[in-house]
Amino acid sequence: MSRASAPEVVLHDLTVAYDRQPAVHHLNGRFAPASLTALVGPNGAGKSTLLKTIVGVLRPAEGRVARSPAGDIAYLPQRAEIERDFPIAVLDTVLLGHWRRIGWGGGVTPAMRETALAAVAAVGLHGLEQRTVGSLSVGQFQRMLFARMMVQDAPLILLDEPFAAIDAGTTADLLALIARWHGEGRTVIAVLHDLAQVRDNFPETLLLAREGVAWGATETVLTLANLQRVRDLLDPWTAEALAGERRRA
Amino acid sequence: MRARAWFGALALIIGATMPVPVLAQGGPVKVVATFSILADLARSVGGDKVAVTTLVGPDADTHSYQPTPSDAKAVAAADVLVTNGLGLEGWLDRLKGAAGSRARTIVASRGIAALTMEEEADAAGQARPDKAKRVSDPHAWQNLANGQIYVANIVAGLAEVDPANAGFYRQTGKAYNAALAALDRKVKDEIAAVPRTKRRVITTHDAFQYFGKAYGIAFIAPLGISTENEPSAGDIGRLERQIKSERIKALFLENVTNPRLIEQIAKDTGAIVGPPLYSDALSKPGGPAASYAAMFEHNAATLVAGMLMN
Amino acid sequence: MTATYAFLIAPFLEFSFMRRALVGCLALAIGSGPVGTLLILRRMSLMGDALSHAVLPGAAIGFLVGGLSLVSMSIGGAIAGLAVALISGLVTRMTALREDASFAAFYLASLALGVLIVSTHGSSIDLLNVLFGSILAVDDAALLLIAGIATVSLLVLAVIYRPLVMECFDPGFLRSVGGHGGLTHTLFLVLVVINLVAGFQALGTLMAVGLMMLPAAAARFWAREVWTLSLTSAAIALASGYVGLLLSYHANLPSGPAIILTAAACYCVSLLVGTRDSVRTRYFVRSHIHV
Repeated sequence: MSRASAPEVVLHDLTVAYDRQPAVHHLNGRFAPASLTALVGPNGAGKSTLLKTIVGVLRPAEGRVARSPAGDIAYLPQRAEIERDFPIAVLDTVLLGHWRRIGWGGGVTPAMRETALAAVAAVGLHGLEQRTVGSLSVGQFQRMLFARMMVQDAPLILLDEPFAAIDAGTTADLLALIARWHGEGRTVIAVLHDLAQVRDNFPETLLLAREGVAWGATETVLTLANLQRVRDLLDPWTAEALAGERRRA
Repeated sequence: MRARAWFGALALIIGATMPVPVLAQGGPVKVVATFSILADLARSVGGDKVAVTTLVGPDADTHSYQPTPSDAKAVAAADVLVTNGLGLEGWLDRLKGAAGSRARTIVASRGIAALTMEEEADAAGQARPDKAKRVSDPHAWQNLANGQIYVANIVAGLAEVDPANAGFYRQTGKAYNAALAALDRKVKDEIAAVPRTKRRVITTHDAFQYFGKAYGIAFIAPLGISTENEPSAGDIGRLERQIKSERIKALFLENVTNPRLIEQIAKDTGAIVGPPLYSDALSKPGGPAASYAAMFEHNAATLVAGMLMN
Repeated sequence: MTATYAFLIAPFLEFSFMRRALVGCLALAIGSGPVGTLLILRRMSLMGDALSHAVLPGAAIGFLVGGLSLVSMSIGGAIAGLAVALISGLVTRMTALREDASFAAFYLASLALGVLIVSTHGSSIDLLNVLFGSILAVDDAALLLIAGIATVSLLVLAVIYRPLVMECFDPGFLRSVGGHGGLTHTLFLVLVVINLVAGFQALGTLMAVGLMMLPAAAARFWAREVWTLSLTSAAIALASGYVGLLLSYHANLPSGPAIILTAAACYCVSLLVGTRDSVRTRYFVRSHIHV
């Protein structure tokens, strides 16, 4: 994957409504090609909404998202609507990553099978290829989904809370995988809750509280002032009360 | 209709104060017949001197009829009520009581030699196979000889209620009976022309016992097929075996559950399903059995055609 | 031996209506097996039931227009079923109502409308025919229709198998890679409707879905993969048809309910003693865990 084909994602005055409430409004900015950005903010800040809009599942109410060059997107949603009891094997699930190449009726070539097997091994699930997905633990399941994304081989990767309720070992392994993708020159955006994780692994951060609070290098974004500003935006009453107290003090 | 109701009310008031029912001045005799066959007989006898209302109309089922409020009104207003008797109209007594009728009731079947049959359904129309008992078979009109007795009873009843026109009634009645007698001979001849061994049909109708005895046809009931229930595979198997073993091709099935099913049975066994027979009611005006005589002609011709194929 | 033969085989040799009914069951089983399996895997079991009732007013109108004609009732039923499926899909997309609720609303209205139409214009016997059908009355034309529908179903399933499975398993992923999930879903609904139309000629609208769902539900206690589930489901459906017809023949029971109750009995037996996830394996078999 060369740097040239990694896309940039530009947001032009983006406003997205969710259930008729504005979830994201007037967001401007750019995810640079081959950047690795963490998307953080409190609950209800519009992070998932933003990802969904970039993928194309949601339409903007105003403004637009521009991806250039256009290409495949690998998207890992937050709470996957995956039917865990479905009788499908791990390998077959990972093979589905080749969808763009095989579509409805295309055959799976030996080369494609090889990539899938390699991906399964890379995420540490070697030996479990024929297990049904229902028999996997939560951590193993997430590894499998990452393997599928590997097989997709997309230049743009979006992850929505990929480490929610995952054990530390799996998290570490998957973070290494993300680093690898970054090294391969793909553009990666991930929604995360653990700020320590973000500081350690993600060079860029977008701090979102329905509007863009700060966007840029992680150490300039995750400052006390910015975090306070987030709190004020989302809870103006408390902000007023605290400001009042400070003035009196 | 309103005028008739007023006349009826007037007649009731006068009738209530006098022991003998009195006719409304100048109007025809108000006759209520329980079903279409009796209505036709009453009209044939009474001509324009009677106004006949029918309770159970053409193509309807008298056995399980549910009377309506307008029926009660008609019965209340009637001068004469023509009924069949022999247990056909189980719902009639309650209707008469509810309507408070003071009409003169003619039981048309009085005086005939009644046959018996196994009771299939009780007065409410529910099938009770486990409690079947022998009761009178009410379908006496299916024998033209009985039909003539019906006519005689109707003549007597009308003459009693409307003595002024008694002569008229007797005359028309006699002429009509002569016609029925001629028809009776004709039907007997037609059927006798069919060889005895072929005079068998399978039918779901239970109304042809009198006909069968009078005119020499064996009416055989199909095993297991009824109008109410869906037949099981066992029922159909038995019926097919019956058709094959009895070697009958003439199949007459009224209002059965599933005509497609009957078609299949007919195809499998080579039986031929005949056109409808009219047993309990006349057809609508314009149909093949719009009068009592027409009904007989139609039934006879249809049966003969079917039997000849046996 | 001859007594068993007489009991099990002779009725079919002696009577062509029994043979036709059995062939009808075979064709229905082949079509409904895979469709029913996928319905269950997609958690659309009740929707299958609702669709079979939605078919009723179309069939009733077809019945009024053409009598118990195969063509008119089938076309009418298919149109009604598809209309309800598609309209409730639209309503779900456009309003806040979830698919199961809007479906329930439409199919109940549909069912009532159908009963009303038949009751006012036909007799109660006609209504019984439409509701309960009769597998003993399938003629050659009906057999051709049922067999044709089974063939078409299998062909279409072969084509849309992969996206269909994906749509069951991970619809989000399918959407994100642009896999035309909506089209697949619609095609699948079409398959369900036409299989129900095939079924209701033989079993009536009330029970057509029974032969689709009960064997598929029973199969879950014996098989695991989608294709083995489909095969097992079809086999159970055929067996239920065979046993049900024999019951109707020997014990004088109405044929449609006999078949469906046999299928239900298969389900109960499977639930209790099946090889996967049944009561027996959960509570009585102490073997080492294997996956």
